[in-house]
Amino acid sequence: MIGGRRPIQGRKPGDRRVRVERPHSALFRWTGPGQLTAKEAASVPTTATGRLFARVKALLLGRPLASEAELGERLSKKKALAIFSSDAISSSAYATEEILRVLILGGIAALAWGLWVSVGIAVLLIAVAISYRQICIAYPSGGGSYSVSKVNFGRRTSLIAASALMIDYVLTVAVSVASSIEQVTSAVPELFDVRVVLGVVAIVLITIGNLRGLREAGNLFAIPTYVFIVSALLMIVIGTIRIVVFGEGEGYAATLGHQLDESVQTLSIILLLRAFAAGAVALTGTEAIATGVPAFEPPEAKNAATTLAVMAALLGVLFIGLTFLAVNFGITHVEEPVKQTVISQIAGKIYGFGSIPFFLFQGFTALLLVLAANTSFNAFPRLLAILAIDGFIPRQFSFRGDRLAFSYGIIVLATVAAGLIILFQGETHLLIPLYAVGVFIDFTISQSGMIRHWRRERPPGWQRRLAINAFGATLTAIVAVVVTIAKAPQSFLVIALIPLLVGGMQFIRRQYDAQEKELAVRDEFIVPVNHREQRVVIPVNGINRAVVQAVIFGQTLATDVRAVFITEDPEQGDEVRKKWERQVPNVPLVIVESPYRALIGPFTAYLDVLDLAWPPDKPAPITIVVLPEYVARHWWDRLLYNQSAKRLKAALLGREHTVIADVPYRRGTLTGSTPPGPDASGPRT
Amino acid sequence: MPSEPTTGPSFKRAVVALSGHPNGQRLVRLVGELAKAHKAEVIGVHVVEIDWSMPLDMDLAARSDEIQQILDMAEGTAESVGVKLESVLLQARDVGAALVDEAVERDADLLVIGLAYRTKFGGDFAMGRTIPYVLKNAPCAVWVVREPIPEENS
Repeated sequence: MIGGRRPIQGRKPGDRRVRVERPHSALFRWTGPGQLTAKEAASVPTTATGRLFARVKALLLGRPLASEAELGERLSKKKALAIFSSDAISSSAYATEEILRVLILGGIAALAWGLWVSVGIAVLLIAVAISYRQICIAYPSGGGSYSVSKVNFGRRTSLIAASALMIDYVLTVAVSVASSIEQVTSAVPELFDVRVVLGVVAIVLITIGNLRGLREAGNLFAIPTYVFIVSALLMIVIGTIRIVVFGEGEGYAATLGHQLDESVQTLSIILLLRAFAAGAVALTGTEAIATGVPAFEPPEAKNAATTLAVMAALLGVLFIGLTFLAVNFGITHVEEPVKQTVISQIAGKIYGFGSIPFFLFQGFTALLLVLAANTSFNAFPRLLAILAIDGFIPRQFSFRGDRLAFSYGIIVLATVAAGLIILFQGETHLLIPLYAVGVFIDFTISQSGMIRHWRRERPPGWQRRLAINAFGATLTAIVAVVVTIAKAPQSFLVIALIPLLVGGMQFIRRQYDAQEKELAVRDEFIVPVNHREQRVVIPVNGINRAVVQAVIFGQTLATDVRAVFITEDPEQGDEVRKKWERQVPNVPLVIVESPYRALIGPFTAYLDVLDLAWPPDKPAPITIVVLPEYVARHWWDRLLYNQSAKRLKAALLGREHTVIADVPYRRGTLTGSTPPGPDASGPRT
Repeated sequence: MPSEPTTGPSFKRAVVALSGHPNGQRLVRLVGELAKAHKAEVIGVHVVEIDWSMPLDMDLAARSDEIQQILDMAEGTAESVGVKLESVLLQARDVGAALVDEAVERDADLLVIGLAYRTKFGGDFAMGRTIPYVLKNAPCAVWVVREPIPEENS
């Protein structure tokens, strides 16, 4: 019968109906035979503190999203170019400066070599881009260097690639944000002193955005990326016309050329290589498209390859163009009285310092750099999630948060990147030596992986493809060595960090493997009926409602139930015994005197004695330690109660044949089966 | 004066009869989309007919996963079109009377009921007892939504 519900009378006599309650419907939904799906309400915290925390979290990060809310939106080439190229194209904002910073060490005339260094890097860019187009075609499911090396080389190499990638992503955030803040302080020098705070705030804002589930929204990325590209190209065109047609900067160039003849003999090859290594940061982010092929509209591989070519062409033009302008206008970095980036000086020269176009250009450059940082916030947590699924890092990294973002990965990335900004005081050029090393290691590993891929698969035209990747691998390997040596000793930090990360990941994997092996159940194993005996031991601190509830529960588990009272005062023990025998006559009480005032040790020792007393010819019994626990009403209450129970639990964890059962006593919940207060005559059952 | 094109006849509160037939999900989607346009409420009602030989308030519907699933799936379908569906589970002697009485009690201005197509015996629409009763007795507008006839029988 449906409890107490009366039929509702219809309009006509005899037409009656009963409304059936559906108590599950607020929390669950039946989605199939024997299958329930939890609704959002089922995840709502039950405590007041939990609800408050959830409300604050929702305010900050938004309401939780259901898994099905994740839409696989495909990207057109235009949107994909904006999304995936912000990292690569933004590096043109600081790559020129890095070259000039090195060349200036060879004297002002050495700056003229900047253009040739940038051309050399552009050639390298073409080689890398052509090689990565091959990866787009061969791995349409996303050819990150980790995936490519996992398939072609195995565990260790793929972990080296993953470690290098992780370092690369962290540094992308740190370098991009630092550079973005430098663009802002170049335009508004008054903010220079708070640059570190601004950098950290920028990272916090990007983090919150990503924890809210900020997707790589095409429109959001497209505007600043395309505005930057157009305005930078316009700047290059105007600047080139002023140099070539109107002869601006000619005097400077002539002087420079004259000086160059004299200085070239002294300009060492080492300096040029260092300049090349410094400018190689321009290539960072080139691999982004190859890793994101599945996000493209069909035909995915072809569209990704085309977008990669366009991106490389744009990056090459911007990089060479900006270096050309800097060299011809005699621009190099300025540190005093306030720091001014090279690109801001070029913008000032072309658009006019303090003009609206100048501020707009600086603003969009800063925004583009922030978006470049955001690409790492998408890629890094995904890489960690893949590694977590493969068992190389803790499994929590593969869990999606309330807003479907990989929250743990996002928080780790933000923390490390913010730490780097603070450590290096937001100085881009101090962070740069750490950068690019990992990138070129990655390039080399993925290209080498492709050589194996082509040799194994041998599709039509594989020899040509193999040659392209072999050329790319050789070139990037040489550059990786050059970059590492040229950026020493800081670059050695990265080189040292990679094996540490690889070792750490292998250690975690071994732990998971060992655990899996230990927990594995053979297919032919059938769970037998339990024939082992059970006994219940209840540590008590006297007679109270929590203890009585634990005793009642313990009696449902076994017939052998005993209470243990540990005391340092024999008189107190006698008093408890008298009371116990009168009020709990069915359960024997063991009093353990503890003259050394210890609690945990004597209790576990008593359990050991019980085990020793068990007949050796019988299987060891399961000892269930039932812990009466008082449930605190407030978070601060928790400090006052159950401390001994916590210590006991910690001591018993891992003890053989022992199970711990918590019996929580909640204030105000005692009715019926539990006893009344001390003024009542006796327990009610 | 020519009237403005609308997204269908307007209503404020619709009761949708859910029989458990697969056509029900189509019905919910249709009503849900219209309700969204008119910002109307949707109530999904499933009636379990109880034989006279058994007590009306017997514990039957609450224990059946299959019955609960009919309403839960309707809720899910409505949610997928962006509408909240209030689900009502009834036990009654007569489905038609229960539907009409529920619609009256909830002040619904529309009652939607599906008409299934039977493929057996050459194919036919089975009106049964419920639809004629609802058409005759419901004080509000009634839509009978016919299931599409399978291609080979048309």
